[in-house]
Amino acid sequence: MTDRPRLSAWRFLAWTAVVGLQALAVSIGLLLCVAFVVTLPLLPRVLRFGRGLAAGERDRVGRFLATPIPPPPATEDPTWRDLRWLVLQTTVGGLAGSVPIGSVAGVLQNVVVAAVWPLFPGSTSTLNIPVESWGGAALAVVTAAGYGLLGVLAVPPLARWYANLSADRLGPRKKTLVARLAEVTATRAAALEAHGTELRRIERSLHDGTQNRLVAVVMQLGMVERVLSRDPSAALPMVRGAQDAATDALAELRRVVRDIYPPVLADRGLSGAVASLVAHCPIPCTLDERPLPRAPAAVEAAAYFVVAEALTNAVKHSGADQITVSLRDEDGAIVVEVTDNGRGGADEAHGTGLLGIHHRVAAFDGTTSIDSPPGGPTVMRVDIPAGP
Amino acid sequence: MRIVIAEDDALLREGLTHLLRAEGMEVTSAVDNPDDLLGAIESDRPDVAVVDIRMPPTFRDEGLRAAVEARRRWPGLAVLVLSAHVEESYATELLADGAGGVGYLLKERVGKVADFLDALHRVTAGGTAMDPEVVAQLLVRRRADDPLRGLTPREREVLGLMAEGHSNATIGSMLVVSDGAVHKHIGNIFSKLGLPTTDAGHRRVLAVLAYLKA
Repeated sequence: MTDRPRLSAWRFLAWTAVVGLQALAVSIGLLLCVAFVVTLPLLPRVLRFGRGLAAGERDRVGRFLATPIPPPPATEDPTWRDLRWLVLQTTVGGLAGSVPIGSVAGVLQNVVVAAVWPLFPGSTSTLNIPVESWGGAALAVVTAAGYGLLGVLAVPPLARWYANLSADRLGPRKKTLVARLAEVTATRAAALEAHGTELRRIERSLHDGTQNRLVAVVMQLGMVERVLSRDPSAALPMVRGAQDAATDALAELRRVVRDIYPPVLADRGLSGAVASLVAHCPIPCTLDERPLPRAPAAVEAAAYFVVAEALTNAVKHSGADQITVSLRDEDGAIVVEVTDNGRGGADEAHGTGLLGIHHRVAAFDGTTSIDSPPGGPTVMRVDIPAGP
Repeated sequence: MRIVIAEDDALLREGLTHLLRAEGMEVTSAVDNPDDLLGAIESDRPDVAVVDIRMPPTFRDEGLRAAVEARRRWPGLAVLVLSAHVEESYATELLADGAGGVGYLLKERVGKVADFLDALHRVTAGGTAMDPEVVAQLLVRRRADDPLRGLTPREREVLGLMAEGHSNATIGSMLVVSDGAVHKHIGNIFSKLGLPTTDAGHRRVLAVLAYLKA
């Protein structure tokens, strides 16, 4: 069990030396391009080669560490990061990579020298001592063992250390705690703000709608009470009026409830509720659904409203005739993806629908991305962390 | 008419029982959970079961599931499902077995006693009673090139009432038009939507609802 990882560490580190040489070649190439001014037009090509090297290394190191390394986002100046990695690979990578190669070479040279000294007396071991006696041969064998031991002890940790170091340089910059804290603080403020707006909206609809209608019911019943003693036949239209007002109040209340937390979500959970949205959609719509993590009700409601809003947008503006809604779990986050084959050109800056989605999602520390080239297709993707 | 009621809110359960008894109906059992509902249907063999959707233990859609289960166990049992909110997909589940005798109404419809009793009778007789809200949900979300847009407002009205499960005669009296006029409207609707003319009753409702859902 321990053999295979150790072997792979050797292979990984030895190959690192090869990549180090390639990186060295690219670095020299870059310097030459700049040094001879006429060769400047070649710079982008060499640069592209260097970036290809970084991409290949991302893949290789990712496989060694068994965790994929994503390329740094455009905001982090990926070319510059790759260049800095190139320097690291040329120097530290080359040195680290020479350890397994040196270890193997050291063992081989000393053992061979020890074995062949009677035929070729005076061959030198790696310690630069000519081997001319059995004692010298023994010393060479001990030296060989030393090289072997050095390799066995040093290569696995060195491989791991260097893999982690290059993963750190090749991948997106790790957010500092301070940056992350600033992000969380902003999210929290947005969430509080959204919550406040929501409370005010609910208060307003209950106050202006439902409550007023119930007041009307009570008023009508009061009139019925008065009129019953005088002229019972006149009571009938008032009773009907009271009934109508109460029915309106209930309709209003249902609407408010639906806006706070859709009952179908409570009954059927997120996938059931989204299935119902998809079934309702006037444009042919398919649901691609994988198992979802359990999430707090507020998160599920946010995901539900995102799908509802996205479908409404697509129906209203996209001109699409096919929509796909995909729901899945990615590293504990609920991922919602709504794709339509419409005309594209959707933009977060225009249209309150997309902005509404963005705010709703941001309040849960989630992210929204929209890819909508003119001519389509439009892909809207939302990631909402399902919980702590 | 023999009726079993399942409703977990005591006030509503008593109120409904009282209302139906006052109208001369026989309420054989009034229970407050899905298991007792199935037990009561087993022992009472009612003509119709009036069932609330949200019931213990989880207060989700137990009532709906119990209603579907009851119709599976006792084919031909009429079921009128009541709920504080309506969801079109629930109606689809109730109608899935293709048999008649299904109703799905908002609870507050009980308040309009005459209409409620009419719906109850219709369901018991193997017809359909869909809440106008369900039909509205189906009518609202339509595409721009939808043939429904070619209907006149009156025809849309008639289509809605058909989807709710009303007969031609009822539609006529509700819209205050003659039977002949209703017949003409229905003929127009079916030809505009390209539906095969179906005889009145549950099959017509299924055809219309299926069209609206497509």
